[in-house]
Parts: sequence; structure tokens; C-alpha cells
Amino acid sequence: MGEPAVVVVGAGITGLSCAAELRGHAAVTVVDRVPVPGGVHGWQAPETHELTAAADARLVLGATAVRWDGERLLVIGQDGAELLPAAALVVATGTRPLGRAELGIAGPRPAGVVAATVAAHLAENGLLVGRRPLIVGGGDWALRSAEELLHAGAESVTVAAPDGVLAPPLAGGGPRLRLMPGARPVAVGGGARVEQVELAGGDRVECDALVLAHGVVPLRNVDGAVWEGPRTVYAQPLHDPATVDGARSAGRDAARAVRSLLESP
Amino acid sequence: MRYTGPVRDVVVIGGGVVGCAVAWRLSTTGASVTLVEAAHDLCEGASKGNTGITTSGADCRPGTLEAELVRRSSPGWEALCARLDTPFHRIGTLAVAVTAEEEARLPALLDEARTNGAPAEIVSGEAARRLEPLVTSEARAALHFPEDGIIDSIRLTIGYAELAARNGVEVLRSSPVTGFERDGERITAVLAGDRRIGARAVVNAAGLGAGRISELAGGEPFAMWPRQGQYWLLDRELGGRFRKVIGGVPTETTRGIYCVPTTNRSLLLGPTAVDHDDPSDRAVDRGTLEAVFEAAQRLVPAVRREYAIKTFAANRPASDPVYRVGRDGRVANLVHAAAIRSTGVSSSPAVAELVRSTLEEIGLPVGDDRPNAQTALEPLPRLLGHPDPDELIRRDARYGQVICACEQVTAAEIAAAHRMAVPATSLEGVRKRTRATGGRCQGAFCLAGVSFLHSIEAGRRPEQIAVSEPASTLGVPAGG
Repeated sequence: MGEPAVVVVGAGITGLSCAAELRGHAAVTVVDRVPVPGGVHGWQAPETHELTAAADARLVLGATAVRWDGERLLVIGQDGAELLPAAALVVATGTRPLGRAELGIAGPRPAGVVAATVAAHLAENGLLVGRRPLIVGGGDWALRSAEELLHAGAESVTVAAPDGVLAPPLAGGGPRLRLMPGARPVAVGGGARVEQVELAGGDRVECDALVLAHGVVPLRNVDGAVWEGPRTVYAQPLHDPATVDGARSAGRDAARAVRSLLESP
Repeated sequence: MRYTGPVRDVVVIGGGVVGCAVAWRLSTTGASVTLVEAAHDLCEGASKGNTGITTSGADCRPGTLEAELVRRSSPGWEALCARLDTPFHRIGTLAVAVTAEEEARLPALLDEARTNGAPAEIVSGEAARRLEPLVTSEARAALHFPEDGIIDSIRLTIGYAELAARNGVEVLRSSPVTGFERDGERITAVLAGDRRIGARAVVNAAGLGAGRISELAGGEPFAMWPRQGQYWLLDRELGGRFRKVIGGVPTETTRGIYCVPTTNRSLLLGPTAVDHDDPSDRAVDRGTLEAVFEAAQRLVPAVRREYAIKTFAANRPASDPVYRVGRDGRVANLVHAAAIRSTGVSSSPAVAELVRSTLEEIGLPVGDDRPNAQTALEPLPRLLGHPDPDELIRRDARYGQVICACEQVTAAEIAAAHRMAVPATSLEGVRKRTRATGGRCQGAFCLAGVSFLHSIEAGRRPEQIAVSEPASTLGVPAGG
């Protein structure tokens, strides 16, 4: 008799740690969109190497998990589509900042309202979403997008942190950094592109982009497992910043939840 | 200097659902046709911001041209959508009465539907919940319109234009009409963008701009104004559970808020109806959006805030009177397909046919279809919901490259959006053709990837990538 099959979506530290904990209890497959494990902590992190070896799981990398029906997961990759049978699914797909509708930001839809994940990614590739961007949020995404935007040539970056909390390197300030702890954007204004952002209380900030970096919510995009999927365990720690220890601990918790799920009928 | 090409039989003004439908209908005839659109892409007005309901005409005012054209269009959707590679499902609508007062209005609405010739029945609250278990347990009764459908109105509009373009219709985007040349009672040329287009006849399908176009052409004046609707878009996880469109009981002044499952299984809530002055105003406000949400929850308690992924506003044309379809009273070769308020999608096939017959009456060569005209688009396979993804990937490995994970849009589909007869020229153009970035993360995950692919496929430098109109660039030049 073989071990039950478990599929973990997401080969970050959380997913790998879960897979490592399940070794000997389940036949684990780990799926990830990008062709290397490590997630936000990177393939070069020592824990990535350690956990990949410890898990000894089948890795399906560079492939996207798209659909879960409680028994099988459809995975799409350039080599083809694969239906992975599984007695349990672990969703360890990380987090994202809140979107515009989730933040309740009113007004028209000019270009230049961009998620921090995108703004940082584009800046790394030399494309600046704004020369005077306003970043909403004060945590790790705000920090990383501020750094990338300044590095890519932004003249100044304003950080509006609605809950007043600023990541330590941001709180230290900087020559082209303007900090507005407690400021909460409520509306955006502009024509073709963003021209200003209105804050709660009525103040306006002139800017040419609004970078959404506030809040930490689970990023879920496997159909059938977005909310309370069947035989699904969610392992998406909401720490800001994301820590290796937090991820390992979430992976261990998920493995425990999977084992109790496998024991139940 | 304007570039002058050969004289066209018909110039269609407006690349919304009505203008594109007219272009499609004329494209199979012997007429030479040019379609001009002011915006950078087709489907940038009311045709992209609507509920996507094809009404069976049950709730149209009896005896009107609107009721007649909607009824004529209704039976043909399955066949037409198959030819235009457009998703369509005839799922029916339930207008749910929660109060005794609402219930008391149902018989009159039933009579109206029957006068229009649209199938309709009054069902008990219990029967309504059997048809659609998501309906509130507070429902006392409901009016069921089984012939109503849901359609992807963007794919419909682009499908009309794509087939038209393949049949030789010239489609000019970013070409706002700035004037007309006249000879007595006739238009002889349309000035649009950098072109002077000689025209034997002109069709005014300019949506919200139709009143201005008529005035510019020396035609009859008519007042039009924007009626703004605000919407919520909710996740497939909820939308996929819907079996019916669910609405409230219409009053004299408003049809109220609908919960509409889209053909992509998302859920739309809306629209509101607020008349205003500025056609470019597409702003949402919190108070209005809250009211939409509450109205929807009153009908469907399962509607919850955590499913919300997007809010947006759109303007549809309001006018008095509505439905000006036919010849202008002053300009002999100007035909209006205008003032089509909110039922433009639902009536577009019959409006197009009426415009064709009107053009035939005034002597244009649009009487017979060419035997060699293309009558259907080759369907473009899409990964989302495909029965055999492996076969798709074997055929084209780019189907194995999921770029937008939320909507399951692949590199193959994004590439195809750039190889159409009327290709995507912006990120919004890619979204409209593929749904990429339109899902639950609203691009937080995939916008960079979609932008890179668009940059390559459209041959644009990254700093030239536009979200929609050319000035709405994704990025700004670094430095000075």
C-alpha cells in the first residue's frame, strides 16, 4: 500500500517546509510557477536548499496550478497539462497587497495605479511607473517598491502609511523620501495618468503614480481552492515582512493539518 | 495635409457594439465600408461597461422601436455568437419581489412582457429558489424571463469588427471625426483623424457622441447625455454558483440593481443610473457603491464583500426620445443608429439589419450578400475551461505558459490578440481580447508579464506601453 498523494502549490519556504514535514507520511508533489524553488526568499537562500533536500518531493516547476476539484489538480506547463491526483491540496502561494477596490479608492481610472509587486518588478527592469509616486502602505512592499523606484530614477517618493506603521528602514527617512504616517488615500484624480491623490480628511497630494503596497492578503488563484476548497489546507502566513521562521512555522502547521485531514474519512 | 483615399460607399462612425454590428452586417454585401472610431480601440464606451445581459425584450416599453428590435434580435443569439466566437448562455432572469408592494407590481410587468411577445411567468418564492437557490429566502414571488441571456459584450463587439475587417471593412481607430464636407443636402466626405474619407453615405453610431456628430454633419439636433452606472465585479468562486440573472422588480423610473453572472463566471453587481454632464467622468464613489452592494445583498445574501475584486463606472447614452434609427430629416445620406440607451447589445443584430435596409432604400449597394463573404470567425481556443488542455499545449507550447493565473490566460492567447485583423494596441486592448489582468488579483501578479509580452508582440518599447489611450502610459521616461 502506497502513501497518500499530497500536492503542495508553491515552492517557497512555507511549501517546502510543509513537504519536508510530510516526508514519510505522504507522497508529495510541489508545484511552482517559476522554474526554481524558494519563493520570495529566493533559490539561493540556504533554507531553500536545506528544505528542498529534506522534502525529497517531486518538483513540478515552471508550471501553473489552475484547477482543483477535491481529487485532482490540473497543472499547466509547457510540457503539457497534467492532472495530479491528491488526497489533500496545500495552498502555499504567498501573499499580495490589497487592490484598489479592496482599499476603497474612489475616482476615475487613470493609468499609474499599480500594485507594489508590479511597480517593483517593472522598476527592476528599468521601467518607472512614476517619477513622483505616492506609495500607500508602510510595510515591506512599500519599502521594496520605494527602494526600487528610487534606484530606477524616481525624483521623490511619498509614503502614505494608513495605519501609521513604517518598516524600520523607511522610518529612518531619506533624501528623496517623504513620509506621511497615518495618511489614508481615499480617491485618485487625473486624466490619462494619475495627477493627484486625495487623502482622508481632504488633503491632496500631487503625484504621478499610486503604488498599492498596503495590507497583506493571501494570493489565491487556483480555481476551486480560492475559498474553503475541498480537502484544502491553506498555508499563507501574513507576516510583514515575510520571514523564513514564519514560513517554516506555517509549513509545519500545514503539514499537521494535512495529516489530520488524511486520517479523517 | 489629410490623406484622401478612394470614395467609400458607407462610412460608419463609432466602434461600439452598434457601429461594429453595422460594419459586420454591411461587410458581407457588395458595399465598400470604412469604420472610424475616436478612441484608441473599439469597444471603449458603453459597450464595455454594461451588464452583459441580452434582454428578451420583456421589460421594454411595448410598441416602441426598441421593443421591436430587441425582440427581433433575441432568437438569433446562439447562432450569431457561434459565428462570432462569442460566449453566450441563455440562462434567464428572475425579477425577485421581496415586499408585498413589489409583488403587487408583478402582474402588470407580466402583461407588459406578454404584449412585447417575450416569454414570462410569475413564480412563487419557493419556485424561484428552486430555479436559483441563491435567491433570498425573503422572496415572496418572482417574474421569470427564461429567454434572457448573458453575453460577453466586449467579445461580441470585437467579434463583429473582426469579421467585418476580414471581409474588407477598413477599421480606423484613434480617428475622431472633426468635420464633414457637404454638397447641398448630402455629405460628400468625412474628416476623421488624419483622413478625408469620401462617402456616399454615413452611419452615425457614435454612442454618447451621436448628438454632436449629427450637429457637425448639419443633421437634426438631438440631446444626449451620459447616464452613469457604477458596478462591482466579484470573483468566479461566487459567480460560478449562479444559475440565473437575479434582479429586483423594476419601477417606473429604474430597473434597479442586478446580480449578473458573466459568461466568464464572474459576478457583476449593478448598474446605478445617474444622469450627469461629463461623458469622460467614469469615477466611482463609495456611497453609491455601498448602495449597490446593499441592494444586491437584499436579493442574494451570499453576496459578500470578500468576493469583490473590482469596482468601475461606465456611461451609457441617455436621450429623449430614445432609439433614433433611420434617415436624418435634413441630410439625405445620413443614417442614424443612435440614442440606443442601454439595450445596444440586445438589439444590435436587428439595428444593423435595419440600417442595412435603410441604406438600400437610399440606393447603396447593400442588397445582396457576396457569395464569397466570410460568415464566421475561426474560434480561438482558450485555456480557461478547455476540455483538453494537453491537446492545446501539444499544438502550441505557449498554451502551457499561463501568464495571468487568475483568468488562466496563456501566452498563446495574448499573442493571438496581437495578430487579429483589429489587434490589441494597449494593455486594455489585451484585457478586452483575452481577460488577462481582469481577474481577482487585478494584475498584482501578472501585469508586468502581460506588459512584457505586449511590448514584444506589439513591437513597442516598454516606455511606450499604454494602459489604454496613447497618453496613458504604464511607465514614465526615467530622468528629466
